Formats: sequence, structure tokens, C-alpha cells
Amino acid sequence: MKIIKVKGSHVILSLVCLVLGFIISFSFHITQLKMNNEKPNLSDTQYEKTLSLRNQLIAQEEINLKLQKELKKKQEMVQENERELAKQAQIYSNIAEDTEKLRMFLGKVKVKGKGIKITLSDGAYDPNEENINNYLVHEHHVFKVINELYISGAAAVAINGQRLTSQSYIVCNGPVITVDGVQHPAPFVITAIGDQEVLESAINLTGGVKDQLVNDNLIFTMEKENEIILPPVLGS
Amino acid sequence: MWLPILGLIVGIIIGLLTEIRIPAEYSNYLSIAVLAALDTLFGGIRANLQNIYDEKVFVSGFFFNIILAASLAFLGVHIGVDLYLAAVFAFGVRLFQNIAVIRRILLTKWASNKEKLEKS
Repeated sequence: MKIIKVKGSHVILSLVCLVLGFIISFSFHITQLKMNNEKPNLSDTQYEKTLSLRNQLIAQEEINLKLQKELKKKQEMVQENERELAKQAQIYSNIAEDTEKLRMFLGKVKVKGKGIKITLSDGAYDPNEENINNYLVHEHHVFKVINELYISGAAAVAINGQRLTSQSYIVCNGPVITVDGVQHPAPFVITAIGDQEVLESAINLTGGVKDQLVNDNLIFTMEKENEIILPPVLGS
Repeated sequence: MWLPILGLIVGIIIGLLTEIRIPAEYSNYLSIAVLAALDTLFGGIRANLQNIYDEKVFVSGFFFNIILAASLAFLGVHIGVDLYLAAVFAFGVRLFQNIAVIRRILLTKWASNKEKLEKS
């Protein structure tokens, strides 16, 4: 009986011990697992290394961000410059075109275009007329034609192939007329570049230049020319 | 005497080998249960040394304390008061008291043994 009793108490005690051991070890086990989960196997040096690497990465990214902003700014500047350059190029080309035009107007270069050709010749000798001046071409006739041409929009006018400018002078000099110091005998060929129709109708106006010239016994011919080439102004 | 030790070892092995995962919020109850078990164990040892050991009281106290501590912690979690701290406190104080008593008893026993030896 005694042995059984002792054994019974021992069995109970061992049961208690089993439960105790189970609980303690289970709790220990779980705590261990929890700690492992919270700190996934990182030693101090590893952690420091990770931290420093992460810091480096962050710093690098910040630098990248800054550089990207700078790049954007620079790109904007480049775009602006390009736009400005384009504008300037446009301005320059405009200026170049203008210069070309102005040169043409000033007679610095050869010009070419459609226009009309007017020939003024002295009238035929008339023994009945006492004064031969009545049928000679005078500088005022030339003036009239030239003025009419300029008024009706001629872009370039030349006498006997000599370009006229705004400073040109025409002087009657006996049997010849002097244009900018160059003597020209009759007949005078006046070429003008411009709108053919307009020039022609302006000259042909009733009571206009043509009629007046014909009244003064001159021989007046007018032709349309599809291509008139005028040389540059002499001495310029 | 070997049977309780064997039981302890088996218990430890089972506890270490079990792969049962309990949710993290229940680990508090387990620690309280551990504390209660230890408290009861030392209480039993003290009672044994003071010759007032009663097996029924010990065994029932062991399991009852564990369950009570766990349910107290459970209640604490559910009413938002950290009641398991009360259990920790109570059990901790009692644990130290029991250990102190055990130590004193052992010291007295050792001293009287020494006296006896010297007398004889």
C-alpha cells in the first residue's frame, strides 16, 4: 500500500512537473520565436552596415533629385536660347531679304524683271519748221516720262541702260543730255521695271505723257518686255 | 524520485518540439501561467519543508492558479486594464517570499545540523 501510495504521489508530482516543464519550455520557445521575428537575425555590424548603406542611398537619391532639377532648369534655358536663336535667325533672314530689296532699289546690284521699254526719238526733219527745237527730244520730255513711270510704281528706271537713282541728275547739254555725268545722244531708250499694265496705261493716258510727247513732234514707241536686265548704278 | 524529473524533462522536450503557433496577444497569458506554476511549485516546496505539505492543495493550487492567472490576464486584455500586471506583482511577491522562507528554513536546518554534528 505504501509503495503504491508513494508511487501515486510521485505520479501526480511528475504530472505537475511535466506540465510545468511544458509550459516553461513552450513559453521560452514562443518568446524566442517572437524575438526572432522582431529582429530577423541582424547583428550589430550588419545593422550598422545596412544603415550606412541606406543613408548613402538616400543621400545619393537626394543628389540625383537636385541634379535632375538642375538638368530641367538647364534644358529650359537651352530651349529659351534655341527659341531666341530661331527668332534671331528669322530677323536676320528678314534683314537679309530687306537688304537685298533695298540694294535692288538703290541700284547696287543688277536687277531683272518684267517691264516696259519706251523709245524717244527726234522727229523727222521738217523744212517748214523754223525751230528745230520743236522736234528734238529735250530733257524735260525725258523728265516727264521718267516721273510718270516713277509715279505709276516703277521699281527701277534706266536711260539707255544707265540706272537712275534718287540722286541722279539729268541735264540738257546741247545736242545730248547728261545723265549723272554720262552723255547720251538721241534716241533715248527708257526702260522701267514694274507692273507692265499699270505703267503702260499710265503712259497711254489720254492727254497724258504720250499725247504730250507726240504733240511735240517726237517719235514715241513703247514695248512690253518680259525680261529687262538693268545693270548696277555706275560709280556706286 | 526519478519519475518527476523524467516528467520535467519530457515536458521540456515536448514544449520545445511543439510547433503550435499561438497568436502574439496570447503569449501574455502563457507567461502569467508560467509565473503561477513557479509560484505554486515554490509554495509546495516551502510547505514540504514546513511539514504542512498537502498534495491535494498543491496539485489543485497548481492548476487552479495557472487557469486563474490566465483568465485574469484574459479579462484584463478584454476590459482594457493591464490586469496581468496585478498577477505578475502578486505572484512575484509571493515567489520571493517563498524563496526567502525556503532559504531561511534551509539555513536553520543547516545550522542545527552543524550544531548536532559539533555536539556529537
